[in-house]
Amino acid sequence: MSRQPTYKVSALTQGTVLDHLRARSALRALRVLRLPPDTTIMVGVNLPSKRHERKDLIKIEGYELTQEEAAKVALISPDATLSIIREYDVVQKTELTLPVTFRGLIRCVNPSCIVHEERVPGLFRVEGNDPVSVRCEYCETSFAEEFFEFL
Amino acid sequence: MVSNSDFVGRDIISVGDFGREELLFLLDAADRFESETRPLLAGKVAAALFFEPSTRTRLSFESAMGRLGGCCIGFAEGGVSSQAKGETLADTVRVVEGYGDLILIRHPREGSARLAAEFAGVPVVNCGDGAHQHPTQTFVDLYTMRRECKRLDGLHVVFVGDLRYGRTVHSLVTTLGHFDARLTLVSPSFLRLPKELRRELQEREVDFTEAQKVEPVIADADVIYVTRIQRERFTDPLEFEKAKDAFRIDNTMLHKAQPGVAILHPLPRVNEIPPEVDSHPHAAYFRQAHYGVAVRKAILGLLLGQAGEDTA
Ligand SMILES: [Zn+2]
Repeated sequence: MSRQPTYKVSALTQGTVLDHLRARSALRALRVLRLPPDTTIMVGVNLPSKRHERKDLIKIEGYELTQEEAAKVALISPDATLSIIREYDVVQKTELTLPVTFRGLIRCVNPSCIVHEERVPGLFRVEGNDPVSVRCEYCETSFAEEFFEFL
Repeated sequence: MVSNSDFVGRDIISVGDFGREELLFLLDAADRFESETRPLLAGKVAAALFFEPSTRTRLSFESAMGRLGGCCIGFAEGGVSSQAKGETLADTVRVVEGYGDLILIRHPREGSARLAAEFAGVPVVNCGDGAHQHPTQTFVDLYTMRRECKRLDGLHVVFVGDLRYGRTVHSLVTTLGHFDARLTLVSPSFLRLPKELRRELQEREVDFTEAQKVEPVIADADVIYVTRIQRERFTDPLEFEKAKDAFRIDNTMLHKAQPGVAILHPLPRVNEIPPEVDSHPHAAYFRQAHYGVAVRKAILGLLLGQAGEDTA
């Protein structure tokens, strides 16, 4: 029998659970999500995990992430799972995945890129998974997740 | 197999969009188009949107269009255009696509050509988008190398000068990766080829070495590609004076090179190649500028559905 340390986080009545986040990515994800200031949030960092050695976990009470918000989390922590809870029940569970290409969500890191002047949403192609990295389809500048500036 | 239909209506945005076979196809087309005098593009109009001036590129395209019987319209400075009135590039393109059969664009912002192509219903040719790309210049450089050296595979190409900011150099080194080239990169240490590009060359297993002196590395060079070192890049004027002398090519130095070496320069030059070199049989930089017309004739022809083949 394994003697994994247990942790206790209270169950949600309704809201969103982000599980299997990459270790130490939860705080970055929360900064990016900019949830309403009075939201109840429970965060676990460096929790033991079966899939990987460590994982992060976020529980958001009373708020369901939009598709766009989920897409942003996927850029920080691909392969996380997202569960929508209603009345203590998981009504929807999805594995986040990285798209091949995507519009918007982040700004091109290159200050000389045309998108900043034209105010069109950026278009990016995903190049790497760990760390996540993308290439701007306009100016062809490649940059990694640590340089993502989310919209 | 690459065919003419791969080029009809296509946008020319970045050299990264072209593989080896397509590049060779384009160079072969330039060979055919050099002597092409039939008005294959009669009645066709190229709309040149030059948001920043570039006399050479514009003249070269105008000449190409004119020699094939077509014509060029457009403006040559952002200040007098709609951009000054706050119109977006997307809107300018949507208006102008109704005036021309293709759009030639030069713009200071990186990625502007790709954006223009998204909004245009006619082919877009990137004539320089900031520090990003100037693909037709790269095609001209490749064409010149093949013409002057009678081959393109396995060349030893020595790049000299500002390799950090030189857009032409960046596109050319990556493109030469398709042709099994050996590269020697000679520059002051702070004007080295950018790190990301060096990493890309390593990943693609392109054979390259870096050096800080020209003379020791040119003995077996097939091509010496010289670029201008600009004063603005230097904080210390004394350093500039030193660099300007250290990274120039003269006749004494060329005695150490192979007799068949081709000397290229994207022009304009300042001091890096003194006029004494001009009479060297392989000083190819003016021919390089002239080949630009043949290459651009080929691009215009192919995009507009004219292959330039002898139909007789
Ligand atoms: Zn960009």
